[in-house]
Amino acid sequence: MTTLPKYLVGGALLVALLGAEVSPRSTLPLRWMPEALAVVGAPLTPASYAGVARRTTRRTVAVAGSVAAAEQADAEKAAAAQQSATAQQQSATAQQQSATAQQQSATAQQQAAAAQPKSAAPPAAAGQALPIGTVVTALPPGCTQTQVGGVQYSHCGADYYRAAFQGSNLVYVTAQP
Amino acid sequence: MTSRGRFDWLIAIAMTCALLTGRVEDARADGVEPEAAAALKRMTSHLGSLQSFSMQTASTLEVVLNSGQKIQFTAAARNVVRRPDRLWSERVGDVISQTFYYNGRTLTIFNPADGYYATVSAPGNIDAMLDFARDTLDVIAPAGDLIASDAYERLMMDATSGFVVGKSVVDGVRCDHLAFRAGAVDWQIWIEEGARPLPRKYVITTLDVAQAPQFELVISNWDTGATPADRVFEFTPPAGARSVEFLPASGGQR
Repeated sequence: MTTLPKYLVGGALLVALLGAEVSPRSTLPLRWMPEALAVVGAPLTPASYAGVARRTTRRTVAVAGSVAAAEQADAEKAAAAQQSATAQQQSATAQQQSATAQQQSATAQQQAAAAQPKSAAPPAAAGQALPIGTVVTALPPGCTQTQVGGVQYSHCGADYYRAAFQGSNLVYVTAQP
Repeated sequence: MTSRGRFDWLIAIAMTCALLTGRVEDARADGVEPEAAAALKRMTSHLGSLQSFSMQTASTLEVVLNSGQKIQFTAAARNVVRRPDRLWSERVGDVISQTFYYNGRTLTIFNPADGYYATVSAPGNIDAMLDFARDTLDVIAPAGDLIASDAYERLMMDATSGFVVGKSVVDGVRCDHLAFRAGAVDWQIWIEEGARPLPRKYVITTLDVAQAPQFELVISNWDTGATPADRVFEFTPPAGARSVEFLPASGGQR
């Protein structure tokens, strides 16, 4: 707990022109964070709020930054995001009514966030490769760099990762070299 | 005690009614006071008329942890804009450093620290580029709303109320302070008083997220006489820089 700021260092990678990125929709790279510290939300801009509100699915940043969560399969990630998005939709609707509803909103979101890590797949057993396309915000320890076909990969255990930008955050995606 | 208590109570009701009446009238008139709308329009028109400019920004972003605890991230940036199709922005800090280039054809994000960069084709003007960056790349510039050529329409899109809070001083500059509400977003803006109505501060409060996190931006060192050359907006990968891709915006159907 006392090293929380270190866990959050990655979060400062939120970037955009003219200021910090305000993106409740993209993964915040909170590295190696205990599950209990999952990020629930960040602000929206008036225009991005309007844009998001018109879309059917509003995602949240209910992201578990723990190793286990980072390694969850995409399908489960999507399912969890869906759940939490639904919860937030409901909470958003309820919130507009009153301050009491806002409290419920907070509760709903926290439940949504809390629920997500539970749906995460267990960490891949040692030596077992993660599904291709898994996105993590930090590489596991003990990686070596390798070049295949002009592309740089980090080789970590049974997995190959290539770097990519998700929004303005640098992430690593499992790939088949 | 009893009569005194009742008296206080009646005063409270009377005051509440007075306040409510005022607000109800405002709501009838679209909720946005004409003075607030006019002040905002003056700023967006002025900023929209500037062909090129640069400024510095200091931002504070709050995120909410599952525990309910709020954490703030701060960052400083230098920004250069040349209408209609050039934008450069450099964020510097102890922890992160990232530069954004838009030259009218492509958009690049570059992390000098690790040498990673990503370049993609982008629409041909700043407005469309900002939308593209937000919707397709998940790269969001909260204050991008301010520099768009249709800034007024963007900001006021869903506004349900707006009023002039009063006079204020930001970084020693006298400003008019305005406050608006739009759906689940409350926002405030401080606009320089006088002949140069530039935005000096911008605060966004998001109500439908637990603990209502805020984003705050203080804008300083406005240079409205800047005439930046093309090369300012061109990215040339330094030796050793590594090109990577943008992941498709998550969700796909947002």
